[in-house]
Formats: sequence, C-alpha cells, structure tokens
Amino acid sequence: MAKSLLIVDDSATMRKIVIRTVRMSGLDFDRTEEAGNGAEAIEKLKQSPVDIVLCDVNMPEMNGIDMVKKVRAELPTCANTKIIMVSTESSQDLIDSILREGANGYITKPFTPERFQEKLSPFMN
Amino acid sequence: MIQHACFADTLLDAAKEVFETMIFMDLQLCSEPGRRVDGEALMATITFSNSIEGCLAVCTDTTCAEAIAINMLGLEAGADLSVEEVSDAIGEVANMVMGSIKSRLTDTYEGIQVSIPSVVRGRELVNSLGEKSGRVSVQVNLEDAHLMEISLLYRESAK
Repeated sequence: MAKSLLIVDDSATMRKIVIRTVRMSGLDFDRTEEAGNGAEAIEKLKQSPVDIVLCDVNMPEMNGIDMVKKVRAELPTCANTKIIMVSTESSQDLIDSILREGANGYITKPFTPERFQEKLSPFMN
Repeated sequence: MIQHACFADTLLDAAKEVFETMIFMDLQLCSEPGRRVDGEALMATITFSNSIEGCLAVCTDTTCAEAIAINMLGLEAGADLSVEEVSDAIGEVANMVMGSIKSRLTDTYEGIQVSIPSVVRGRELVNSLGEKSGRVSVQVNLEDAHLMEISLLYRESAK
C-alpha cells in the first residue's frame, strides 16, 4: 500500500537529494511533501498527517529534536507517524537521546538508497 | 593525536564517499598537487570544535559548482540555476564531507561539534586559522575535468 512522506530540511538541495534517494531505493510513496524546518513541519502535520517523516536535526526556527518532542506530545493524530532523523550528526549519545524523545530511526549523511531501504521498509507495511 | 598525513587520507576518503554515493560524480586525486582554483570561485566553509577545532573548506570555480548542483538536484546538463541554489548545493557538500570526516575521526576525537555551512564567492579565495594551526589540503578532479580544493585547518583545543 502506498504511503505518504514528509521531508524536513532547511536546505532545498538536501530535500531534493532525499526525494531522489527515496525514489532510487524503490520505496513507493503516493504523496511527498516538504518543509523547511520543524515549525513548518508541525503545521503541515496538523493539516494532514503522514506515514513517515524524514527529518534533519539542525535547522533554524525549530530543530528536529524539538519537532519530535512536539509531535509526540501535542499531535495525537500523528501517533502512528514514523519519524526517521537524517543528519550529519553521528554521535551515539545524540542518536540515543533523539530515539528516547520518540524518533523511530536515524540515518547519517552521507547516505545511500540501500540505507533508506533498510531503515524505511520496516514501516512500509 | 592523529598524524597530518592521516588527515589528508581522511579528507580524500570522505570526499570520495560523498561524491560517489550522493552526487554521482567521479572524484580522483589531481595529478598536479598544489594547483589552485582559477577565476570566480565559491568556497563553502564549516567550522568544528571540541578537543580539536578548525575549519573545513571546499573551494571550486563557478562552472564546477554549477555542475555539482545540477547533479545533486538531478537536473539536465545546462539547466538554469540560481545563485542561491548553487550556494546551497556547495554548502551541503561541505556539510556532508564534514559529517563523513567526523564519523571517521570519532575514535580519536569524540564529540566534535559542527557549525552550519557558509558560502562565499570571489576570486583567489584563501582561508586562515592563524598561528599554531595545521593545514591539510587535497586537490581533486571531478569527472576528470573540474578542479576542486578541499582543505582542513585545525589545531588542538585548550579543552
């Protein structure tokens, strides 16, 4: 069954790269949306929840960690939304703390289509 | 402490990983070491700090920067790009190369903090970290055509 996807990154270039990499991974999304920071993402999720969010960590206005906290605390309509962080930040402490806040996975940059396949496919059924 | 020569290998390996897996451009060590980027250029820099601190810089001419941006965005060759799109792309290159370097150095230097990237445009661009700093620089060719210089300025921190 096709799923919906929200890509959150302050770099428009990186959002395009993520879209292309998801496509190359063979995963099927019938709706893909974009947001430039956590606050924009929250607004989009309030209007229309998605199945999977791919989210950068370091962003202006609202970073990825605060976005995860807000989604888990204030958006019950997104209780089933899977949030996968995508970042160059690779310290295990940071990854552990983000997962504790409610993220469902973590992909470090640079990434490959195979990595997306591995991390996202468990949430596609 | 990591050796100067290891930094050069780390820079090259990190850049290769980024260009081969995410930008789909061939990257090879330039056969003319020390060659500088000519003409109008873009330099993306990103700083880092903790037990080691410094700055990574990625510098290339505007033609190469546009080629990189076109590949990153999956556009046709010759596509029109704005200055912002090209700058954003080069900034992301620096960000990803720094991310890869950080992963490779994590056993030696834990907890490196990285800034957001910034990009400047101009001619004969040079960056500096002042006295008592090391500098490692590698010149590479992209697609056997474009020249790009990747440099790492660093010093041990007082922390």
